[in-house]
Amino acid sequence: MSVRRRPGIAPARRYSHWPIHIALLLVSFCMMVPFYWVLKTSLTGENIFVYPPSLWPVAPHLFYYVDVWYYIPFARYLLNSVIVSGLAIVANVVFNAMAAYALTKHFRGRGLIITLLLSCMMIPFQTTIVPAYLITGKLGLLNSYLGLALPTFSTIVCIFVYKASFDAVPRSLIDAARIDGLSELQIIMKIMIPLSTSAVATNVILSFIWSWNNFLWPLIVVRDPQMQTLPLGLSRFLTYHENTTGALYAFCIMVLLPGIVLFLLAQKEFIRGLTSGATKG
Amino acid sequence: MSEAGTIQAPRTPGRRNVPRRAGAAGSKRRRELLLIWVFLVPSLLVFFLYRVLPLIWNLVLSFQQFSLFGVTRFTGFDHYVDMWNDEVFWITLKNTLIYMASAPVGIALALAVSLMVNSEVRGRNIYRTIVFLSYPLMTVAVGIIWRWLYDEKVGLFNFVLRSLHLIDKPLPFLQSFELALPAVLLANVWQILGFYMIILLAGLQNIPQNLYEAASIDGASGRQQFLRITLPLLRPAIFLAFVIGIMTSFTSFDLVYVMTQGGPSHSSELLINYIYRAAFELSRIDYAAALTVVQFLLLVVLTWLGNRLSGGDAGAVETD
Repeated sequence: MSVRRRPGIAPARRYSHWPIHIALLLVSFCMMVPFYWVLKTSLTGENIFVYPPSLWPVAPHLFYYVDVWYYIPFARYLLNSVIVSGLAIVANVVFNAMAAYALTKHFRGRGLIITLLLSCMMIPFQTTIVPAYLITGKLGLLNSYLGLALPTFSTIVCIFVYKASFDAVPRSLIDAARIDGLSELQIIMKIMIPLSTSAVATNVILSFIWSWNNFLWPLIVVRDPQMQTLPLGLSRFLTYHENTTGALYAFCIMVLLPGIVLFLLAQKEFIRGLTSGATKG
Repeated sequence: MSEAGTIQAPRTPGRRNVPRRAGAAGSKRRRELLLIWVFLVPSLLVFFLYRVLPLIWNLVLSFQQFSLFGVTRFTGFDHYVDMWNDEVFWITLKNTLIYMASAPVGIALALAVSLMVNSEVRGRNIYRTIVFLSYPLMTVAVGIIWRWLYDEKVGLFNFVLRSLHLIDKPLPFLQSFELALPAVLLANVWQILGFYMIILLAGLQNIPQNLYEAASIDGASGRQQFLRITLPLLRPAIFLAFVIGIMTSFTSFDLVYVMTQGGPSHSSELLINYIYRAAFELSRIDYAAALTVVQFLLLVVLTWLGNRLSGGDAGAVETD
């Protein structure tokens, strides 16, 4: 069940909104302060021997954002992250749509598969790391893009997001298409997908965020420095010398930016995916 | 919830029998069946390889003496006996339980926020976005940001506390035995708060409006309405948030890894971090598998318990 936007849902009580505003402003302040503090550091650096720290950015500059490219192979990390996320996005959009379309049809074992998917959702990825590592090793995929992306190739939540969208397509439309001689593949490409753009968007966003942010799996699978993704680069950068403080936080901002921008652009699709998946569990 | 029921209920019961009548239609049906399974295979393969198979193998591995090059043989309950005598295991288990037990605090906070952003207050969508913004962030980066806030010399926390004269000398949050785990927990709450809020908000918006109207006519106060309508009907959503909260004891691996490395001397190490260390730093893959079994069982038991508490008995909330 997805979140329905119902305006004016709150009980129409007459009271002042000011206490609520004050409380919410306080919460928002607490939520935003870490962003501000890091942004400030990335623009001014920080002399850790001077107390108190300045609250405002004094003489801000963008040099640290340039430094990042010299201190570490940032371009390489970025490329690796983009390739792995790209693989995950394409695989999710295609495989999840295929599985969801199959599940809109009736066949023996359909109920069993849905039950299986719902129970698989209860297995957190973190509890599979040891055998997953051994399996990936047996497949010969350690230190490879495919090995990094493979566990995220299909996501159960996203299958159900697709399925809900496919189920909403009118039966008559599909029957009409079939009478017109369209094959199953054409029905998917010409009717299902165009009518489910919002589900496609949810798939793209969720699979991007999850693979972009993934840390534990790359940490296990990657041994070759050339194959490291951005989160690994970030955690490695942490162990560098202290005079790179400004650059470290500039690096942080650069890594966070794509996720933040994408989230702000497609907040509705993102939240819909999370809540629909959540209520299914 | 009726959700599972609606998934499995056939929407068009007549369809299944139609194609079976003639031979041509039968072969068409066979083609369709083939297509269905071909479409399902990629996803099912991924889930089999990275969900089902690991779960089984993990259990088997926990009873084995694993060797990458030599012979793997069964050793019975050896690893579990080791675990019983392993001090680090008990510390990390305790930390994980503290982590899980603190979930209700975050949920209570999120409930307050979601009630506020669910009111007719102006700019509620902006508030929602701000609270939720920290959730989709890369956890490693969040850990690094918070590490910086906790910094002993120039961190924001120490600066604020010192300016308010609450402390005399700076606190080394992440290097302290007592404060390291709470410090990590706070960062985790900061990140997950928005997710709780979204879940609870969805639950709030599913509560029928007329219940409140009827209650007001009957003269129920705002507090009574909250305790007798909102909370009981919100139970499924709260349960869900609780499950997510339990899960953060896994996903906080990243936070612990970059913020404290589990230190000082395991005081902030979670089971998942110990599992990682055992498998990939101490080369005790089989022991790590046994630890994973314990953590998984913990998850199952707590989820079951949460489920019982949220839906099991209906009077629990009202007697409070």
